[in-house]
Amino acid sequence: MDRSVARQGVIDALPLFVPAIPFGLVVGLAVTDAGLNPLVGWSSSWLIFAGAAQLTLITLLGSGVALAAAIGTALVVNARHLMYSMALAPIFQRQPRWFRWLGPYLLIDQVFALVTMSPEDDADRFRTYYLAAGATFWVLWLAVVALGLLIGPVVPEEWNLGFAIPILFIGLLVVGTENWPEVVAALAAAAVTYLAAGLPNRTGLLVGSVAGVTAGTIAERVRRG
Amino acid sequence: MGDLAAVVLVGAGTYLMRALFILALAKKRIPETVLIPLRYIGSAVLAALIVALLTDSDGKVSIGVPEVSGFLAGGVVAYRTRSQVWTLVAGMVVYWVVRSLF
Repeated sequence: MDRSVARQGVIDALPLFVPAIPFGLVVGLAVTDAGLNPLVGWSSSWLIFAGAAQLTLITLLGSGVALAAAIGTALVVNARHLMYSMALAPIFQRQPRWFRWLGPYLLIDQVFALVTMSPEDDADRFRTYYLAAGATFWVLWLAVVALGLLIGPVVPEEWNLGFAIPILFIGLLVVGTENWPEVVAALAAAAVTYLAAGLPNRTGLLVGSVAGVTAGTIAERVRRG
Repeated sequence: MGDLAAVVLVGAGTYLMRALFILALAKKRIPETVLIPLRYIGSAVLAALIVALLTDSDGKVSIGVPEVSGFLAGGVVAYRTRSQVWTLVAGMVVYWVVRSLF
């Protein structure tokens, strides 16, 4: 294992975790507000390991909607992971079997953003980087949700630390974009997501992503002539 | 008991969605016509996530001068330094400062 690659994975993960701190605290608080068993609520952070879906599920369980509706809604919120799985399938072909089973467990937005925008060509280095970043998020996420259960939201809401996520994603896009079809894909995805913002359960995100992929593919056809 | 079952089911569903194509395509030859769109998923999803994260629960996208300023600062610093840390610091500081002026 290449230690410098592992270190880079941790270093790249830490800034992306900063905005997850208030979010994790809110998830912890939501467990308390929803009247859930604290251990069950906290366990969502390692059983589901996806903040937005956890928050959706916990809030809905507390609001007394039908169990099936709560589960279905949380899964719709998480449907974007299908696209991550598709995008990384070619890279994972060169990985050992154990990692093809473990890797998806750690495939959260931030890990996807990091690995998709800095494509590591070497299979071993990719795996080390992926595991280092993923494990960093995993440990910190479990800790911060537990903290939210114990102490509530200690980060002032008016800081709006959550805004750090779009900033960091912009940074990853700027650094990772290599050709103009990718620019077309990003702009089309942003525009369509904006127009579809009113759709329920974050489905606008899916519609916008599909539009972006389509636009990028067409742009590449045009480029190739 | 019902709550735990719900958490376990959503967890299992989430893992399946994350693993589906990685496991199903592990040994398959992926044709070039499929590989091309796959290359644009990263850029498209990140851009879509940025907009989705600025959308409130009523479906209203809140983006004004402070947000755009933060994006510009973060984008320029990311391009120059390639550092997540400095991107975060620059973007948030500019966002906070501009927000306090408006």
